[in-house]
Amino acid sequence: MTRQEFLLEMDEILGLRAGTLRGDEKLDDLQNWDSTALVGLIVLAENANQTNISPDQVVGCSTVADLLRLANVDPAPARK
Amino acid sequence: MPETTPSSPDLLRELHFPVTPATVLRKRHTLKRELLAQPNLLSRRIAVLGGSTTSELTAMLELFLLFHGIRPTFYESGYNRYAEDVLLDNAALAAFQPDVVFLHTTWRNVSEFPALLEPAADVDRRVRREAARFEALWDKLHDRYGVMVVQNNFDLPPLRPLGNLEAFEPSSRTDFLMRLNADFAAWARRHSWFAINDIHYLCAQIGLGAWHGGTYWYNFHMAVSPTATVALAQNAAALIKSVYGKSRKCLVLDLDNTLWGGVIGDDGVNNLILGADHPVGEAYLDFQRYVKSLRERGILLAVCSKNDPAIAKEGFSHPDSVLRLDDFIAFHANWDAKPLAMRAIAAELNIGLDSLVFVDDNPMERALMREQLPDVATPEVGSDVARYAEILEAEHYFDVHRIVRDDLSRAAFYDENAKRSEQQSTVADYGEFLASLDMTAEIAPFAPVYLERITQLINKTNQFNLTTRRYTSAEVESIAADAACVALYGRLADKFGDNGLVSVIIGRAAGDVLHLDLWLMSCRVLNREMELAMFDALVEQCQARGLRSLLGVYVPSKKNAMVADLYSRLGFLPDHEGAQGATWWRFTLPSAPLVSTRHIRRTASASASESRSSSSVPNSELLATR
Repeated sequence: MTRQEFLLEMDEILGLRAGTLRGDEKLDDLQNWDSTALVGLIVLAENANQTNISPDQVVGCSTVADLLRLANVDPAPARK
Repeated sequence: MPETTPSSPDLLRELHFPVTPATVLRKRHTLKRELLAQPNLLSRRIAVLGGSTTSELTAMLELFLLFHGIRPTFYESGYNRYAEDVLLDNAALAAFQPDVVFLHTTWRNVSEFPALLEPAADVDRRVRREAARFEALWDKLHDRYGVMVVQNNFDLPPLRPLGNLEAFEPSSRTDFLMRLNADFAAWARRHSWFAINDIHYLCAQIGLGAWHGGTYWYNFHMAVSPTATVALAQNAAALIKSVYGKSRKCLVLDLDNTLWGGVIGDDGVNNLILGADHPVGEAYLDFQRYVKSLRERGILLAVCSKNDPAIAKEGFSHPDSVLRLDDFIAFHANWDAKPLAMRAIAAELNIGLDSLVFVDDNPMERALMREQLPDVATPEVGSDVARYAEILEAEHYFDVHRIVRDDLSRAAFYDENAKRSEQQSTVADYGEFLASLDMTAEIAPFAPVYLERITQLINKTNQFNLTTRRYTSAEVESIAADAACVALYGRLADKFGDNGLVSVIIGRAAGDVLHLDLWLMSCRVLNREMELAMFDALVEQCQARGLRSLLGVYVPSKKNAMVADLYSRLGFLPDHEGAQGATWWRFTLPSAPLVSTRHIRRTASASASESRSSSSVPNSELLATR
């Protein structure tokens, strides 16, 4: 799963318009960031790139970029 | 019955068989928006009282209830406070006035399993005692609120300490849980207002590997995995919708390649594929048996087939046909478009289209029915008869919460009254209840062994959290080693078990004032006076350092309203206000120790030898190092 695809999936998990997340947001600032979204993200991350992620790893994340790293998705924005 | 028409059938297919939990979790908000757009939703108040965390469950339950046309409002108990909320007449629950109470407990909520090889008579008494503990809750709920009570039975634990002996050894956990389930079932048979959400079946259906959450329990206290949470919510929602008469009443069946293999008009009755002498014929036979079983429990059967009626009826004279013509209450075999026939069936039976389920092997017919009569449930059964019944069941169309309403027996009445009296006498007031818990707290400076848990708690606690500040593990380590900081953890145990590390305070000394940067507590120990024990310990630490006052700050968030008045309750005085509603509160330290709670006995830290002793850091040193 690419960075962009992962962010779009996160948009959906959080009920945000597609393309809202850029990757540098703090998780606590996100609309609809709750425990169910967190669980959804773990499931997403596990499915993405077949990465095994434990819940406590996600709990330790504070930014979207942290999550991208955890899901084995390149956290850096694509170069233009 | 009002008819509902989903606004976006394609999207809502995600909630039909086969439901993919990851997809439902991902599309939760979009699905909810679509479902809320349905007309004629029935509003109901659902109290979810959990033996584990419940927020993920209620999020899924909301979707599936909306899917069934019920718009829920939820009350959620605190973590593992299902019993207290009931027995202590929680005011918020009373004000909520639930329509349904759902007790979401699992094997983890069994208070005590038998000891290995415990005598059978003792196990018998233990089973009864544990069942009675739940029965007292159900009774109280019914007496207090007169509501429908939905109770999980017990799932199987992930491990079998006794291996295969678990299957028959009376002191094994498996045998114990099976006996409790039997007691729950017996209760359900006797009480019409009580229904079982059968998670014992669900865990087998899903498989224990997928059912149990593993680290989800340790991290979030989710009793089951996300996959299982979706299935559990779907099952419970189906049960609740059945309480409100939203189950379907009539199964309408196509004939050719649905109830038998082949086309009767072309092949003739003698050449139909039906019966145990043919692998596919046996599958049709089993499906007919399943349909027959639905009829036997009161589901109406009808036929909707493009056929000559006389020829179509001949199919039921097949020697292997389990279904007979008189099993069907309506029989529409003709060449009309099937939606027309379906309307005729609904009119004939005087039931709404939303009471009908249509099963047809032909995808074109299914698509036409969905397009023209969306209120008729038309499951995507495919063309493999071996799966028809499974798919019908997975859609929960015909779920009922009971078939027979039994009267209470006189013996049970007296038995229940005795249990009520006993319970009432044991929890006469809240102070007595707290005292009965025999609570002990270990409150001490951060110790290396707990830093991971402390970091985790800091990063996930939202409600009882004065500032909602987050710290990385490195920052927590740094704080633990910083002589200028007063950093305390608190563990709480009671006679029922160890609640673990549940509270954290971080303060930083400046002059003779300790600035409180963080104060949080896990909601699992709310209303146990643990915050008072923490406060007493904090005051003690500050006194030992020669500090004069505490300066606390409350930073409001969307989720921490419950602690808005904590400082005022503890005797702090307003100091000043800041941006975004933040308020500062000052507390002048007394010279003598504080005793804010007498319900919690503080014990020595088990890890004291590893931790920095605050008493060895005099205030003069603090001032020097700041």
